[in-house]
Amino acid sequence: MSTDLTHGHDDHGHHHEDTWLTKYIFSQDHKMIAKQFLITGIIWAFIGGLLSLFFRMQLAWPNETFPILETLLGKWAEGGQISNDFYYSLVTMHGTILVFFVLTAGLSGTFSNLLIPLQIGARDMASPLMNMLSYWFFFAAGVVMFSSFFVQTGPASGGWTAYPPLNGIRDISINIGSGLGFDLWIASMSLFIVSSLLGGLNYVATIINLRTKGMTMTRLPLLIWALLFTAVLGILSFPALLSAAVLLEFDRILDTSFFLNNIVIGGDLLAYKGGSPVLFQHLFWFLGHPEVYIIIFPAMGIVSEILSVNAKKPIFGYKAMIMSIGSITVVGFFVWAHHMFVSGMNPNLGIVFIIFTLLIAIPSSIKVFNWLTTLWRGNLKLTPPMMFAIGFISFFIFGGITGIFLGNAPVDLPLHDTYFVVAHFHVVMGVSAFFGMWAGVYHWFPKMYGRFMNDTLAYIHFWGSLIGGYLVFVPMHFLTGVPRRYYSFEQFTTFDIFQDVNVIITLGAFLVFATQIVFLINFFYSIFKGRKMTSDNLNPWGANTLEWTTPVERIHGNWSGDIPQVYRWPYDYSVNGNEINPQTKPLEEGEEEH
Amino acid sequence: MTTTLLSLFAVFLFFLVIFYIAKTIELSSIAKNGLKNDYVKSTKVNAYLAMFFYIVGMIILVMTTISLAPRMLPESASVHGVEMDKMFDVTLWVTGLAFLLTQTLLFFFVYFYRYNEDRKAYFFPHSNLLEMIWTIVPAVVLVALVFKGIGVWHNVFDFQQLDGKDPIVFEVTGKQFAWVLRYPGADGKLGPREITHENINEFNAKYSLPNELGIVWTDKASQDDIYPNDIYLVKDRPVLVKLGALDVIHSFYLPHFRVKMDCVPGMPTQFMFTPMYTTEEFKERLKNKKFWKNIDPKTGEPRWKGFKFELACAELCGKSHFGMQKNVVVVEQEEYDAWLAKQKPFYKTVVKKAMDRVDNQ
Ligand code: HEM
Ligand SMILES: [Cu+2]
Ligand SMILES: [Cu+2]
Repeated sequence: MSTDLTHGHDDHGHHHEDTWLTKYIFSQDHKMIAKQFLITGIIWAFIGGLLSLFFRMQLAWPNETFPILETLLGKWAEGGQISNDFYYSLVTMHGTILVFFVLTAGLSGTFSNLLIPLQIGARDMASPLMNMLSYWFFFAAGVVMFSSFFVQTGPASGGWTAYPPLNGIRDISINIGSGLGFDLWIASMSLFIVSSLLGGLNYVATIINLRTKGMTMTRLPLLIWALLFTAVLGILSFPALLSAAVLLEFDRILDTSFFLNNIVIGGDLLAYKGGSPVLFQHLFWFLGHPEVYIIIFPAMGIVSEILSVNAKKPIFGYKAMIMSIGSITVVGFFVWAHHMFVSGMNPNLGIVFIIFTLLIAIPSSIKVFNWLTTLWRGNLKLTPPMMFAIGFISFFIFGGITGIFLGNAPVDLPLHDTYFVVAHFHVVMGVSAFFGMWAGVYHWFPKMYGRFMNDTLAYIHFWGSLIGGYLVFVPMHFLTGVPRRYYSFEQFTTFDIFQDVNVIITLGAFLVFATQIVFLINFFYSIFKGRKMTSDNLNPWGANTLEWTTPVERIHGNWSGDIPQVYRWPYDYSVNGNEINPQTKPLEEGEEEH
Repeated sequence: MTTTLLSLFAVFLFFLVIFYIAKTIELSSIAKNGLKNDYVKSTKVNAYLAMFFYIVGMIILVMTTISLAPRMLPESASVHGVEMDKMFDVTLWVTGLAFLLTQTLLFFFVYFYRYNEDRKAYFFPHSNLLEMIWTIVPAVVLVALVFKGIGVWHNVFDFQQLDGKDPIVFEVTGKQFAWVLRYPGADGKLGPREITHENINEFNAKYSLPNELGIVWTDKASQDDIYPNDIYLVKDRPVLVKLGALDVIHSFYLPHFRVKMDCVPGMPTQFMFTPMYTTEEFKERLKNKKFWKNIDPKTGEPRWKGFKFELACAELCGKSHFGMQKNVVVVEQEEYDAWLAKQKPFYKTVVKKAMDRVDNQ
């Protein structure tokens, strides 16, 4: 359709003059940028995961000391026990890092960049420069966030949700992380949002404009649809967070009162007047809820592709899948205040958000049933990516179901801000989005590095994560009344009865982390030494989509000849007597397009 | 130090062994089948593992439920909480069924439709009927839940229900890191507050006594108010708590009463509920329950004996968020009256003295 917009392949034969710097660092090639996002995301996942082990140790063994902690963390763990100040820094940074740096940038950044051009048949993104900037803004955001660990008063410690006044007053006597640490948090998040917007606009522009000849919207793989809606969500919701963050910083350094009113500290009334802390929550969750879909959509898309390829069956209900993801996108903008049922907003407003929240569960359940039907009477090759896709579904069901409890305000009221919520969102966002991400990494690793990851290690990674994931989060659901963000439960007879359960959860967390080390070894080893993808094995999983028509060498411009033309949707599996019918294969005589 | 090093070394060795085993398997497969892997063997292994996981997982899930459910919060001690618990249970049954159904299908499909050279996948791209079914069935169920939910929710916040009911009205203010409780004195009225610079900062400067709440001490209604340590409530008598916060957001959370409402600086909130049992009655109800009849190793007594209602903070408010505990005691009206009579107004015990000292100079 729009091949003429991209540069013809002539430009691409002689890109050998790429220097090391422009090839690996300031690359504008979407595949390299995807790898940059992925590896940065993996590094952040390691850091974020490590932080969780520290605070899980505190929860499991609140009265014990671990000299190693003091060795590692210095003044934050004097005597070998994490201080309460640092505990809150740890949970805050863990949340921020995993939600934004890993599951947003690492997931959508990696797969949007890698697969949008490859699956729609484009030589690169609409704007490779913007794409490169998107990565470097993300990188800068990471550097700023990382540096906040080294300031005197530590990193932000007021929760990943950054509610004022706790984070709205620049006074470390209120909250130790509210000093420089939180300024850096705001700066980092602002950079991150810029990165997200640059990326998102580019993804949308590319999908709309650069599809190859014959690639109509209804012939797009579901993954591309998912990435498109992800980008739309980000473009429309991240600005709300940016404005909230900027106004919050104004309150902090210019003494404005956007989110503050009648604050009394140390016996004195401060000068803030007329603002509303609840307004910040509205702005935050206006992003915050769409954000959870920004995280889960790419995983859903990846899973849809992988299920269909490995079941050798068309994804069931292609149009219904697009419509459900589309309606989640729209309705997803009208559910944010289900995080605020008891924030003090008018309870009657809550009714609207009950309705929309439970409404959104319908398309989610349609998707689950469609995936299940895709498996039904398939011929399933249980490759590592397929196992992760199946694990994704299992966890998504589990977490979606607890969402139905939380969406119903009278059921949510006792559960809000307890471990039930922590369990809900870790299952559905933490674990299942991670499973989607891993599925994608194993599946497209050959596209990124021309090699395969080791299968045995991959299966070990799968089973360890599946068992570990359930081990951590099933018991956590039984802590229904136990408040989250507690450094210790010993002050309360009501909550101090789960010590043994907390130990089990922590051991599960260690298991999951150890399993990730298997993944890390496999990933980095395979980049250099993995089983090679050969030119007689260009389509190793037997897929119909376009990315498997490119050569083993991952060349700039993707295809050495013309960009292939597309004649059919990507799900013609097990039809016409063929197991696979690539999109590039013309319709047969008398064949009707699906 | 040596043990640390040794255990690190052991961990390293562990990963090394796993790595070499995996690598060997791969190399022998490459030697046999070349660089392509057809995943036929691993499909079989993983399908069996998946079925095994499903069966063992379900058994463990049931066992976990049996062992942990008795520890979850006991039945609701407030009237509206009973309705909430009912909704929780209904949701649990409905979604539990959906969970069982879908997980079973998932793992059975993985097992039964695992790769087999002789079978061909069935081309089945869509079916309007099926899609209608799984749009409409969840929709009907969810509409029912929404309907019931809105009803319950509406009741919880329908403050007109208090008209003519003579509720206990008291005030709770959160601050780092304590709760300030204020009950009306003999006049049954809470004294007025004025959040102004004069009333708070200048008062503090003049009398060297913080007046954080901005109480207007010259008002008679303020002078008999009491500031108790524990929350006292009366069985079957409605309660209206007026909530607020001084510095950051806190959240008034009474787990046993299914009460939770944020306390926001500069924005009043409130919550109403009716306790159903006195503390002693509630203990009696727990006496024969699993878990509660066990010995608590900390006290050496059965757990139910040490039971108490508690107030906690449910919104992160700073480094000692986890320590904002208060006891809640539910008694009969007479006992409440006796308790109230014993409390000394704060004005008399502290404020008046401080003011007199300055004013009389
Ligand atoms: C069936 C669909 C879902 C429903 C009805 C639902 C509902 C809810 C509700 C009502 C809450 C607020 C609970 C509270 O704080 O009291 C919540 C929290 C949350 N949910 Fe979901 N959810 C669903 C799916 C998801 C998905 C797919 C994700 C992410 C991929 C997700 C991520 C989260 C997160 C991150 C939080 C909590 C954030 C926080 O308080 O720190 N949810 N969910
Ligand atoms: Cu939400
Ligand atoms: Cu608190």
